[in-house]
Amino acid sequence: MTSDTLPPKPKRFLWIWLLFAALVLILIARNLEINFTTLIWGYQDIIEYFSRYGRPDFSEWRHYSALMLQTIAIAFWGTVLAFAIGFALAPFASLALTPGKISHQTARETLNFLRAVPDLMLALIFVSSIGLGPLPGILALGFHTGGFLGKFFSESLDRVPHGKYDAIAAVGANFPQRVMFAGWPSVMRETAGYTLYIFDRNVRMSSVLGLVGAGGIGLELHDTLRLFNYNQATALILFLIGTIFSIDYLSTFVRSKLK
Amino acid sequence: MLLLVVSANLVEFSFMHIIRSGRPFIDFMQNLLVMPDWVFMPQLLTKMLETVEITLLATAIALVISFPLGILAAKNASPCPLIFNVTRNLLSVIRSLPELVWALVFVSALGLGPLPGVMALAVVTVGFMGKFFAESIEVVGENAVEGIQAHGANRLQVIWYSMLPQAMPDFIGSLLYILDHNLRAAAILGLVGAGGIGYDMVMSMRLFNYNRIILIVMSIYLLVTLLDRLSVRLRMKLIHGQAREALQ
Repeated sequence: MTSDTLPPKPKRFLWIWLLFAALVLILIARNLEINFTTLIWGYQDIIEYFSRYGRPDFSEWRHYSALMLQTIAIAFWGTVLAFAIGFALAPFASLALTPGKISHQTARETLNFLRAVPDLMLALIFVSSIGLGPLPGILALGFHTGGFLGKFFSESLDRVPHGKYDAIAAVGANFPQRVMFAGWPSVMRETAGYTLYIFDRNVRMSSVLGLVGAGGIGLELHDTLRLFNYNQATALILFLIGTIFSIDYLSTFVRSKLK
Repeated sequence: MLLLVVSANLVEFSFMHIIRSGRPFIDFMQNLLVMPDWVFMPQLLTKMLETVEITLLATAIALVISFPLGILAAKNASPCPLIFNVTRNLLSVIRSLPELVWALVFVSALGLGPLPGVMALAVVTVGFMGKFFAESIEVVGENAVEGIQAHGANRLQVIWYSMLPQAMPDFIGSLLYILDHNLRAAAILGLVGAGGIGYDMVMSMRLFNYNRIILIVMSIYLLVTLLDRLSVRLRMKLIHGQAREALQ
């Protein structure tokens, strides 16, 4: 093949796009009144500030572990609720299994709605409607991540080879039977993986739910930072990192076993 | 099951509690059925714009930082196992703290306003995006890599000409996912005073301004849904479009 038979080289406008993006970002920074040069000049203050976190104070570790346990329990219950929601709605939202077009649309829009509202906002709403304590936290986490789990579940139900559904429908199975005998058994492992991933995420989230009064360790962290108790704040942050890190590691390990 | 029962005590969970809280919940929801406060509209729009701007700026900063970190944290692109392990674990530690905790720390370091929000969001996003990038580089096909190596390319050239082009659709997919996640996070960052719509949300909740709450909730819902739809379409076009091109 000679060079004149080759098609012309495609034109790319990557640089123009990059320039445009940079311009937009500069405009945004201007609009937000953010000045990164002050950040650079103030580096000594920043170093000084972060040096205050140098000495963790673990004297109240009993209190912290009790709070941490409560945080994990909130995440656990939230995940259970989310699983229940996902389990109930996913077959309707899945295109391959759904009994009708209307139920498909309704289930999908419900899941979309649950996912779209941030969980802390849900927690705010629940706290101001049913009072302080862990229950609003559980409900907020459960509803928000239920939207995610429902979506994930319905997508994996769609990925199952449709022959399985056809086979069981051919022997006269109705909708719940198709779901229970063909749907869930084929996606069991994926489901467990997704649920673990959501549990992981929920532990991370439930540690900040306390900020709005929904139980857990978040309130303690907020209070210590407000009272400038940097030593206790460091201890709390280290506690959080340790717990979340180990749960993250554990769930990654179990998920890799599942595959 | 046993775990459920034991932990129920810990969170003061009981079905009586749920049933009893049904009534206040319905009362509260009735309060929300009011005429929205249209005077609040201009302020709402500026705050929503601020939220979107925080999202974009933080994601862009994180993109620039996590690109080299992602390459260092990928097993097949990293220069040596030590650097690979160090970056991997660094990214894990960054990820393990939620953005609101970072925001709390940055707010008390830098003061109120959007700057700590951008910083907190950027830091957490670096943790996630670096991991996603590394993972999409690790699953790159070996053939193209060997082909480039056979031409005598050095390490940087291998990464630039064979690994990155293959990982690009994956990159874009995770970028869109992160943008989605960050918008949701930016909407609540204001809770700790880090800019955005969250602050107005908390304030109107405390002052029982139900006619504002309903507006804020609806606008966040609309914005998130809009971005969600947009990112689904973009993903379809970019990822599947490129896959078709590669097949030809």
